[in-house]
Amino acid sequence: MTASIKEFPGMALSRKDFEEGRVLFTTWDPNARYAWEAGVAIGRYLAELKNGRLIGRKCRKCRRIMVPPRMFCEHCFRPTDEWVYLEDTGTVISYSLCYVTWDVKRVKEPIIPAIIEIDGASKGMGIMHLLDEVEPDEVKIGMRVKALWKSPEEREGAITDIRYFKPL
Amino acid sequence: MSLLERIEKLEEAKAWPGSIPITSRYTVGIAGERFFREIKDNARFLGTRCPNCDITYVPPRLYCERCFAKLDDWVEVEPTGTVRTYTVLHLALDGSPLDEPEILAFIVLDGSDGGLVHRLGEVDPDEVEIGMRVEAVFKPEAERKGSILDIGYFRPL
Repeated sequence: MTASIKEFPGMALSRKDFEEGRVLFTTWDPNARYAWEAGVAIGRYLAELKNGRLIGRKCRKCRRIMVPPRMFCEHCFRPTDEWVYLEDTGTVISYSLCYVTWDVKRVKEPIIPAIIEIDGASKGMGIMHLLDEVEPDEVKIGMRVKALWKSPEEREGAITDIRYFKPL
Repeated sequence: MSLLERIEKLEEAKAWPGSIPITSRYTVGIAGERFFREIKDNARFLGTRCPNCDITYVPPRLYCERCFAKLDDWVEVEPTGTVRTYTVLHLALDGSPLDEPEILAFIVLDGSDGGLVHRLGEVDPDEVEIGMRVEAVFKPEAERKGSILDIGYFRPL
């Protein structure tokens, strides 16, 4: 519908109009702070990361052990039943070589995000993390890896309490 | 267990704090442009008049809010006015106590049906009254930027 309107009312403004002070304006930085509530399952998951271990959640009906843990089984539509401690080792099931950082800065040495199927959890259940201490062209799907943890004093209950995964 | 499992100790509750960087830019618009330029260049207030409704809008409007007519009758409005209502502030925007209380008032400008919200100065908070006559104190021309703050404050006449 807008295609049939040749000229819109009002004034179109360009960047130059602002830079050269041709229009009057005010700027304002709203205070957009927020807090994301982790919930029961992720709350425990993060607490256990601080303790230096991974934890999952089991559904007794489909017998899946899920990581990251969740309080509700999306397959069976029922609450999950128990907490299960997992290994901090796993298998790379997918990865990527990234030559840009998350805020789009170029890097020479690629960053290697990977999905790691965690030992002790069901097949295909894994977490995303970084790989390191490995040459980019040596990374393979199916590669066995182990978490490198921060020291207990440095850990704060975040996924970054694991620095990265390295080949076993 | 299961869904009945709850966080019982407050310190177990975990939340991720974050912040979103946003900057907004508000342009004053066509009528606002003329209003603020006049303040900046000549230290005068302008309004627009609707002859139909016999109303003078300050700040100026491009269209009459009552009859929707386009307004192009620009008139000068006096820098004097009357306090319609006011409040005395003891806290800053961030909640910290102010050293000196600030007085904010809505001032109906003479010769118009509108007015401005602005500071009152050169007056003790106890002496402010509704109906008090005030005038605008403009900043020196060199300091004026085309903003509502080009008026330093209103003071008693």
